[in-house]
Amino acid sequence: MTTEWTANNERELVEDRSLRRFLPQDERVIFALLLGVVFAALVLPPLFFLAKGALTVTADGVTRFSLERFTRILAERGIWTSALNSVLFALGSAVLAILIGGVNAWLVERTDTPFKPLAYLTTIISLGTPYVLYTSAWLLLLARSGPINSWYREVTGETGVLINVYGLGGMILIEGLLWSPLVFLLLGSTLRNFNPELEEAARMSGAGTFDTIRRITMRLSLPSILALAMLVFIRSIEAFEVPALVGLPGRVHVLTTDIYDLMHRTMPPDIGSASTLSLVLLGVVAVLLYYYGRMTRNAEKFATITGKSFRPNKLALGWMRYPAAAILVLNFLLLLVLPILILVWASLLPFYQTVRSSAFRLLTFENYARVFESDRYLYLLGNTFLIAIVTATVVMSLTAVAAWLTVRRVPGAKALDQLGTVPLVFPGIVLGVGVMQLFLQVPIGIYGTIWIIVWAFVINYLPYGTRYSFAGMLQVHRELEEAAAISGASPFTGFRRVVMPLLAPSLIAGWLFIFLLATRVLALPVLLSGPSSQTMAVAMFDLWSNGQGPELAALGLLWSLAMTTIALIFYFFARRSGVGMYGQA
Amino acid sequence: MSHGAARVFARAWLASLCLLAVAALSHPARAADAALIAAAKKEGQLTWYTTQIINQFARPAAEAFEKKYGIKVNYVRANSNEVALRVLNEGRARNMQADVFDGTTATASLKKEGLVAKWLPDNVSRLPKEYVDQEGYWVATNLYVLTPGYNTELVKKGSEPRTFQDLLDPKYKGKLVWNSTSSSSAAPGFVAVVLASMGEEKGTAYLRELAKQNVAGLAVAARQVLDQVIAGEYAIALNIFNNHAVISAAKGAPVDWIPMQPALGVLSVISVTKDAPHPNAGRLFLEFLISEEGQKIYRAADYLPVDPNVPPKDLSLRPDGEKFKVVFKTPEEIDREMPRWTQLYQSIFR
Repeated sequence: MTTEWTANNERELVEDRSLRRFLPQDERVIFALLLGVVFAALVLPPLFFLAKGALTVTADGVTRFSLERFTRILAERGIWTSALNSVLFALGSAVLAILIGGVNAWLVERTDTPFKPLAYLTTIISLGTPYVLYTSAWLLLLARSGPINSWYREVTGETGVLINVYGLGGMILIEGLLWSPLVFLLLGSTLRNFNPELEEAARMSGAGTFDTIRRITMRLSLPSILALAMLVFIRSIEAFEVPALVGLPGRVHVLTTDIYDLMHRTMPPDIGSASTLSLVLLGVVAVLLYYYGRMTRNAEKFATITGKSFRPNKLALGWMRYPAAAILVLNFLLLLVLPILILVWASLLPFYQTVRSSAFRLLTFENYARVFESDRYLYLLGNTFLIAIVTATVVMSLTAVAAWLTVRRVPGAKALDQLGTVPLVFPGIVLGVGVMQLFLQVPIGIYGTIWIIVWAFVINYLPYGTRYSFAGMLQVHRELEEAAAISGASPFTGFRRVVMPLLAPSLIAGWLFIFLLATRVLALPVLLSGPSSQTMAVAMFDLWSNGQGPELAALGLLWSLAMTTIALIFYFFARRSGVGMYGQA
Repeated sequence: MSHGAARVFARAWLASLCLLAVAALSHPARAADAALIAAAKKEGQLTWYTTQIINQFARPAAEAFEKKYGIKVNYVRANSNEVALRVLNEGRARNMQADVFDGTTATASLKKEGLVAKWLPDNVSRLPKEYVDQEGYWVATNLYVLTPGYNTELVKKGSEPRTFQDLLDPKYKGKLVWNSTSSSSAAPGFVAVVLASMGEEKGTAYLRELAKQNVAGLAVAARQVLDQVIAGEYAIALNIFNNHAVISAAKGAPVDWIPMQPALGVLSVISVTKDAPHPNAGRLFLEFLISEEGQKIYRAADYLPVDPNVPPKDLSLRPDGEKFKVVFKTPEEIDREMPRWTQLYQSIFR
């Protein structure tokens, strides 16, 4: 790292000796150090509890080092089949999510396809919808007794099913769909801020449209695509609900369902087993990160926001506009209309019934009435909002500075990026227990308050913030700051006045994403909330575990409506600031 | 202690003695209560970690208690695992927040960790002895009876399987479902009841036959398994809480439960924590839930009370020991035997 930096520095010196005076490296180093301490304080305690849980056993009150858990996990029946399934599932989901999200992002940002607002609407609403609701919606649609299969039986007179969702294919389909809005959002911001000169150069040199996309556009988006693929891959390896509800009935076991079994064989749950698997996962992720780091080493190559003004050109598709529009409409139907329709249907029933004429007489607004009558939800709303706003703001502030320091190769800053990515491997329950133990032993009075949830959320979402900020930062060429430095600005003035505004779209997108995630994730608040810090997630979990699916659907839909309104407002602002900054139409 | 303070103390002590004496004279049996109530009121609040559903039971119970004693109940709802984790971590960190906690299996392991107080109110003496821990750490508040449940549109009422043997009928192949986790309300609980009623050898042979039916295993709660049956994904759930079927059927859902013999009985037990921050309020609350008044709240929520004088709303839900037999497993038995049941389930059905 140091040699690289020195080499870099030498080059700068050769390029322009006077620059050295304006870019005092040490000032930024202090910041990197401070930020390093903050990151370490956040990430290391849960990591410590993870390692402790995985590598020690306690017998008769004595705790000792042991690899017993590793051998026990490796000896589990069918663990290797499960591992293979996990990898296939994660790979499939990542590819599908990138494909759907990527194609949509490209069509929307770089072509003249009609119906673009549909894509934004789809993304924003789906980001505001709780996962548990989304997963059940698609499952309701595709299940054996779901509308698609029942109609197939009615039409053909068959007794079987048209689509068998229970299996690896169904798991990948649902998980891939679940993650595609995230891909759309992040790839979209990459593609929007694209310098078209390189594409124009390619076309002038005789490359066709397809070749230009393949050799220029795709290549320049590679860091974003890889970062996202990795994100979806890791999250899918850790996913539990989809494998439990969709995989297991088809006898497809994955690591998370196995570990869930293993953990719950004893009471209280065996956190050590979950920690062991997480540690293995940490190893895998470290390897992935290493290669990812190598691929994006020469980050400047990917910088597309430079000092020159530009206007990304939109490809005229000609007659291809119609099939392109069809893709957007299909995506809109699949990701938004169908799940929402089935949820509306579910929310109007006293108990769930598949879509059929005989169930229409049951329809009732009782579920909505119950949600509105309960004053508890209002109080939960306040708590949930406060937690989400603080979490998103803290995460994006920390990671924006970290990404800047990392991309500008400030010594030691690489560690920030790595630390910021570590929490990806914490399963919710391991992180929850780690944070819980920390604040039971460090009595600063936040146990049982909403602030312990904020703390856990900040750790949990650090990787997302890091990815958003990093991907945004990669696009900002250093020449802009250098211009500021030459005009006499300190590095921090440069960051504040030049980098931050350019980074704003990525930061706002990240903020929004984390805000929406923090309002709908179940596992952490359920474990960490105290009597006076209950959140909406706890209420949803209560409904979910009590079979009040229809009331959950009603609450969830109202919730999504509120979230979508907020998301739309923010998106509007983000777009507006984007218009101001890049002169885009 | 200063002279003034000593005098105040002495007076207060005398006063409380008098109060006790009066209480003892007027209601001999309620003597302990008066002292407990006074001490509890002084504490003013308590924290209850519960597995009970908030709007069905936790909130009505807390409100009734607050109304009666003016003591605030702070409840935190989570499932058994999370309740156990919280109590365990708080106890190990010597920073106990909970005063009272309930659940079906967590108590046994927390007892081993020394985190449960050895205390039971006097009013437990009227309960059947299998509902009270002989060592004095827990008392059951309500019963869960685990039976199969079925979708009445997919399996006609009257033709439903009545015995374990009926479940082996080839027409049910691929239509059976259960929860695949290590829980008494999951496959291992069903294994337990089969072993208990048929013995090891015959029971194992039966389970091998059942495995040929391709029973779908879901790693979700028993309640969600039943919901899938109601939605029509599967015809029969093998091991559900029978009151869940009744609650859903009352809303018009096409579901019923089967009194298959014997069924598995599980106790929902409640305890006061060791080193509870509000021990007296906690004790008073526990006593309240066990009292006839408290038991009626369970009844109102369609649960099965333990008090023999408070029958459940639907009488058939409760095993009578004659027509409807149940194998009861205590938290200790479940804690001890769960690994064996799970092992057997895994080796036969995976």
